[in-house]
Amino acid sequence: MSTATIDQLRDTELSYRALLAVGAIAVFSFIAFFGLVFPESIWADLLGILISRSTLSSALRLAVPITFAALGGIFAEKAGVINIGLEGLLIISAFTAVITTAVIGPGVTILGLPAIWIGFFAGVLASLVFSLIFAVVCIRFKADQIIAGLAVWLIALGLAPFAATVYYGGVNTDNVGTTLGTWTIPVLSDIPFFGAFFDAGPAVYMMLVAVPASWFVLNRTAFGRHIRASGENPKALDTVGVDVSRVRYAGVLLSGFLSGIGGSALSLGLGQFIGNNQTMVNGKGFIAIVAYLFGNYNPLGAFGASFLFAGLEAVQIRLQQVPGYAIPDSLIQTIPYITVIVILALVGRTRIPQAAGEHYDTGEDNR
Amino acid sequence: MSAADGAKSVLRRLVNASTVERILISFAALFMAVVVGAVIVLVSGRVATCQTAATTLFGLGFCYDPVEVYLVLFNGALGGPFLLDSPGLFNPNWNPLNFGFALTLKETTLLIFTGLSVAVAFRAGLFNIGTQGQLILGALATALFAFFVAPFLPSGVLGGLILIPLSIFVGAFVGGVYGAIPGALKAYADANEVITTIMLNFIAAQVAFVLVSEFFRNPDSQVVETTPLPDWGTLLPVAFPKGGDFSLLALAFGLGLVVAVWYLLEQTSFGYDLRTSGEQPEAAEYGGVDAKRTTVTSMFLSGALGGIGGAIWVLMVMGKWQAGVPSLGFDGITVTILAGNNPFGIVPAALLFGTLKSGSLAVQFGTGVPKQLVGVLRGLIILFVAMPEFFRMIGSSISLETDDDAVATDGGRSLLGGDDE
Repeated sequence: MSTATIDQLRDTELSYRALLAVGAIAVFSFIAFFGLVFPESIWADLLGILISRSTLSSALRLAVPITFAALGGIFAEKAGVINIGLEGLLIISAFTAVITTAVIGPGVTILGLPAIWIGFFAGVLASLVFSLIFAVVCIRFKADQIIAGLAVWLIALGLAPFAATVYYGGVNTDNVGTTLGTWTIPVLSDIPFFGAFFDAGPAVYMMLVAVPASWFVLNRTAFGRHIRASGENPKALDTVGVDVSRVRYAGVLLSGFLSGIGGSALSLGLGQFIGNNQTMVNGKGFIAIVAYLFGNYNPLGAFGASFLFAGLEAVQIRLQQVPGYAIPDSLIQTIPYITVIVILALVGRTRIPQAAGEHYDTGEDNR
Repeated sequence: MSAADGAKSVLRRLVNASTVERILISFAALFMAVVVGAVIVLVSGRVATCQTAATTLFGLGFCYDPVEVYLVLFNGALGGPFLLDSPGLFNPNWNPLNFGFALTLKETTLLIFTGLSVAVAFRAGLFNIGTQGQLILGALATALFAFFVAPFLPSGVLGGLILIPLSIFVGAFVGGVYGAIPGALKAYADANEVITTIMLNFIAAQVAFVLVSEFFRNPDSQVVETTPLPDWGTLLPVAFPKGGDFSLLALAFGLGLVVAVWYLLEQTSFGYDLRTSGEQPEAAEYGGVDAKRTTVTSMFLSGALGGIGGAIWVLMVMGKWQAGVPSLGFDGITVTILAGNNPFGIVPAALLFGTLKSGSLAVQFGTGVPKQLVGVLRGLIILFVAMPEFFRMIGSSISLETDDDAVATDGGRSLLGGDDE
C-alpha cells in the first residue's frame, strides 16, 4: 500500500471521527437551545440531565468496566491476538469478586486487607486465569481466536450462574452488604459539575490512571514497541531475537488483568452479582471492543468512546426516572446498542494490526 | 491480512480437514468437555451443602457424584429406560413414547433449525452470532401473525393447514430481514458481523419485549406474553405425551430442511458461490461472484432459518410468544461447530445437545446439580472443538515415541508431525 493511500485512509478515518465529534456537539447544542427556549419541554429535562453532576458521576462509574476491558482489548489485539472474550472475562471477574467477598465474610480483614479488596483481587485473578487459558488455546494450540473467544464468553456465561446456583440456590448472588464505596478528595470535590471527578469510587481513579499509563506503555516503552511489532510484523520481531509467543502471552494476560479490574469494580460497586439472562455485564465487553475500534487502538480514544457509551447509558437511566414520558424503558435501553452499531458502521474500516488473528510459527516449536 | 481473512482461513482449514478427522475431533472435544464438566461438578459438590455425601474421594466427601450426574442425565433424557438404583436392570414400564424422550426430541428439533442457521452463515465465512435475535423476532412475528389471522380462517385441520405454513413463512421472513441487516452492514460498511449481531441480539430482546408489553400483551396474564393461539393453529404432539411439547411433524420438517440446505449448499450454483466466498473470497471475486450480494443473501438465509426456529418454538412449544426466550440461538453455535458446519452432521449434534438439555432437568431434579451445567458444557465443547491442534499434538506425541526411535536409528527423517497446513 503506498503512502498516499495510507494518508488517504487516515484522512477518511479522521473525517469519520470529526463528523461524529461535530455531530455530538450539534446534538448537544440542539438540546441546549431548545431546552433554554422552552423550559417546560422534554429538551429542558434532557439539558438538565446532561449538565447535572450526578449524570457525570454515574457516567464515570459506568465507564469503568468498558474502559478497562477496552484497554485490555487494545493490548491483546495490538499483540496480534483478537480477544473477543472480554465479555467473559468481565463476567467471571465480577462473579468471583462477589463470591470471594461473601465467603470470607464482608466484615473480615485479612493481613490488613478488608474482604472486599481481597474479593477485588480474586476477581482479577480469575480473569487472569481465564485469559491464560485463552492465550494457551490460541497461541500454543493455534485455535481460531474468534471461536476461542466466543468459548471464553460462553463458558463464563454458563459458569457464573451455575456456581451462583450451587452456592445460593439462584443465579443471582446475595448482596454482600458492602461496596467499594467512594473516595472523596476534600476541596476539589466541591467544584460544581467537575467535582464528580474527585468524589468517586476507587475504580474511577484507577481508570483515570490506567488510561494515560496504558498509552505511555504502548507508545513510549520497549515493551509497547514489542507488543505493536508482534501484531504488525511478528517476523521482524522474531528476527531481532524477541520471542513473539511470549509477547503475545503478555498482551493477552494484560487484557485479562485489566478486564478483571473492570469486572470486579462492576460487581463490587453494587455489592452483588446478577446472573439473569446475559448477566449484569450485559454486553459491556462487546461494547468495549467497539470502543477501542472507535478509538483506533489508542487508549485515550478508547476511553473517550467508552465514556461516550457510558454517558448514553447514564442519560438513559436518568431519563427513566423523569416522569411523564411514554417512552418505555426497554426501548431507551437499546440506545447504547444502536449507537454501537451506527458507530461500527461508520468506523468499520479501521485498520487492524496486520498480523492480528494469525498464528505465528517460529518454525522451532513444531515438536 | 485482515481479521476477517484470518478467520476465513481458519474456517477454510476446518472445512478442509477430512471428514473422519473432524468427526474424531468432535468426539474428542465432547469427551474432554464431559471430563472437565465432571471436574467442575465434583468441585462444586465441595461447595454445595448437603445432608450426606454423594461420593467420597481421597477421604473427602462430595455432594455430587459426576458419574451419577451423567448417568441420570442420559437416563432422564431417554425417559428412564434403566433403573439406576438396582444395577443393570431395565425398567419394565419404559415406553419409548415418554415425556423425557419427548423433551429431548423437542430440544433436538429446535436445535436443528438454529444449528442450520448458524451453519449456513459459517459456510459463507460469516460468524452469525445473531441467530438468537433473529429467532426472537421470527417467533414474535409468527405469534402475532397467527393470532391476527386465525379469526378469519375456518377452525380445525383445514385452518391449521393454511395457518401454520403461512405463519412459519412470516417468521422466516422477519428473521431473514433481521439477519440481512448485519449482512448489509458487513457488505457495505465493513462492520464486523460478530459485534453487530451480538448488539442486534440485545436490541431484538428489548424491542420484542416492548412490543408485547405495550401493544400485544395478553390482558389475562401476569407475565409479558401474547394471547395463546387456538389449538388447531399449533403443532400438536402426535404420538408423544402432550406435556412434552414435541411434534413429529416439526421434526420431519427440520429433517427436510437439513436435506434442502445440503442440496442448496452442495448442488446449486448459489451454494457454490456461498461456499467459495466463505472459503476463498479472492477466488470467488475473481470468478465473478458478487461478494457483497452473497453476504447479504447468506445472512438473510441464515436469519430465515433462525426465524423458522422461532416459529416452531411458538407453534410447537409455547402456543404464544413469551418474554425470556430460551438461548436456542447460542446453543445453535455449539451444534454447528460440533457438526463441523455439515448439514447432516447437525442432526446427531442436535440430538446430542438436545439430550444434554433435556437430561439436565432430570439432573437438577435427581441430583441437585443446577441445570445451568449445560451452559458450561456448551462453552467447553466450543473451546475444545476450536483447538484441533491440541488433539493432533496429543495424537502425534503418542505416535512420536516410536518415530523418535526411527530418527535415532536411520537419522534420515526428521520433523515428523506437527505440520498443520
